[in-house]
Amino acid sequence: MSEEIAMAVVELEEQKVMNAVRRKLERKEDPIQILEACRRGMNIVGERFQTGEYSLAELMLSADIFKRAIAILEPNLAKARPLEPLGKIVLATPKGDIHDLGKNIVATLLRAHGFEVYDLGVDVHPALIVDKVKETKPQFVGFSALITSAFDSMKEVADMLVTDGLRNRFKLMVGGGVTTPAVKDYIGADFQTCDAMDGVAYCTKVIGGQSNG
Amino acid sequence: MARERMSGNERLQAAIRLEKPDRVPVVPALFPEPAAHLTGLSMAQVANDNQVALDAMWTVFDRYGGWDCGYPGAYIPIQMQAANLYPMKMRIPGKDLPDDHMFQLVEEEVLRPEDYDRICDMGFDNFYYQDYLWRITDLTPDDLNKEIAGLQTSFEKYLVECTKRDIQPFFLGYAIHPFFTLSLMRSMVPFTRDLYFNPEPVERALKCMTAELIQKQLAIVKASGISRCLLTEERASAFFYPTSVFERFWWPYTQEIVDAFWSEGIVTIFHLDQCWDKNLPYFKNLPKGSAVLELDGLTDIFRAKEILRGHLCFHGDVPAALLSIGKPEEVESYCKKLIDKVGDDGGFILGVGCATPPNVKPENFEAMIETGKNYEFSQK
Repeated sequence: MSEEIAMAVVELEEQKVMNAVRRKLERKEDPIQILEACRRGMNIVGERFQTGEYSLAELMLSADIFKRAIAILEPNLAKARPLEPLGKIVLATPKGDIHDLGKNIVATLLRAHGFEVYDLGVDVHPALIVDKVKETKPQFVGFSALITSAFDSMKEVADMLVTDGLRNRFKLMVGGGVTTPAVKDYIGADFQTCDAMDGVAYCTKVIGGQSNG
Repeated sequence: MARERMSGNERLQAAIRLEKPDRVPVVPALFPEPAAHLTGLSMAQVANDNQVALDAMWTVFDRYGGWDCGYPGAYIPIQMQAANLYPMKMRIPGKDLPDDHMFQLVEEEVLRPEDYDRICDMGFDNFYYQDYLWRITDLTPDDLNKEIAGLQTSFEKYLVECTKRDIQPFFLGYAIHPFFTLSLMRSMVPFTRDLYFNPEPVERALKCMTAELIQKQLAIVKASGISRCLLTEERASAFFYPTSVFERFWWPYTQEIVDAFWSEGIVTIFHLDQCWDKNLPYFKNLPKGSAVLELDGLTDIFRAKEILRGHLCFHGDVPAALLSIGKPEEVESYCKKLIDKVGDDGGFILGVGCATPPNVKPENFEAMIETGKNYEFSQK
């Protein structure tokens, strides 16, 4: 049955996912098990994306289905035992850029893979990002950009995090259509990608390395 | 050292005809935002005054010794919304954003599923002006007329300045591909849901919009005397969608547009953002010389050239990030590589990937223009 949910997520069968989630909740099944089934589906979607079998469209649609399933599960999840996140990440589109399409996809994918995401939104002032990093102590900070004028905002935040002595406590990631490896170096980030799943894979790998080490 | 023996327009025409000009034509997409940056103006100044925007662009053109063809950008942002070219809500510096921010478009679900059939019933332009525009704009009907008139005047002034400098505009017909238009209006995730879960209304709308686009642009392009039309698409490549979606919802309408234009001698200039690597072979099906592919640095232009060598012309693709944070020697080196590998047999126009970024470094912009204008002559 939980395999049914996972495969329905993979095959983009939205109604089937929603019906199965509701049915399981009615039967008082463990909402965390249901969540895990949805996540297994998202993992398979991620694998298919990385092998080229799926495109961004399928990734977006499965993420959308996952979000809708979580919306049904949420009230029950809150009552269940707290889930230990795989890791924490602060995400933002920094000051000067209001685009959030890519960031939102990454946020949903990270949640689907078990990360706790603090999404600060768009056009975020550097001080807000620094404050959130201090408050949440994440393993990752991610910046998204669609326009080149965001590069300097990203650098400003990165420099502030260095000045505050926080920079070596997390991995800094940058993503978005206009970013390149040179942008990563300019900002002093650890990782750059234009591919949402690459970002998720990077976080999972880093966390895996930390827990193994 | 060899000297120029062609005018900018002759050079451009030769490249589009897949011939080897005296040197590569240089046509950077320079809009008011980078022009503001390069002339010390704020984004708000060029976003709210046509004359300031025009003056900034021509100041840059003259300061850097000019180039071969003007990339029309005689607008202020709100006029693009008024002219049915940016069908989205906007944030404008000096109004909704600080003065030093670039204007931006808001990704939001505005078009509703039932609107696909209304587009078919009313016609796209009628739907836009009688209904949709008023969901996204702060303009009043009086403002609308004023802004459209302002845009027309600005383009007339732009053409006067082109003539003074003995250059032509790259195009005067400009359309957004129907697929991209619907994605912008509906926003990407809901549009993708429609493509997968409720495709028929989308197809009906695409069909109607394609027919209307062809009719409208043929009239505009013929009247303009410039036999080229820009067609922008940023969301249909294999980066976003599998080829099954591309083949069903994009390619047939694209081919219809290009064929209709080409039958009247009009070249389609595709503005193709994002990675089109997997889609490139489809473009072999277009008539030879019927289109120019503008790439933005995310498609492998060198591979694209090998696939479409001797078939279609390329325009691009100095990456925006390189121009904004790179070094002049890196820009020079990249331009030389483009000229050597993509322009070796002609069929290449040197330009920027997508558009000149609003924070372009002056020395990088200069390196691009100068390399384009001098590199090949320095070798002869």
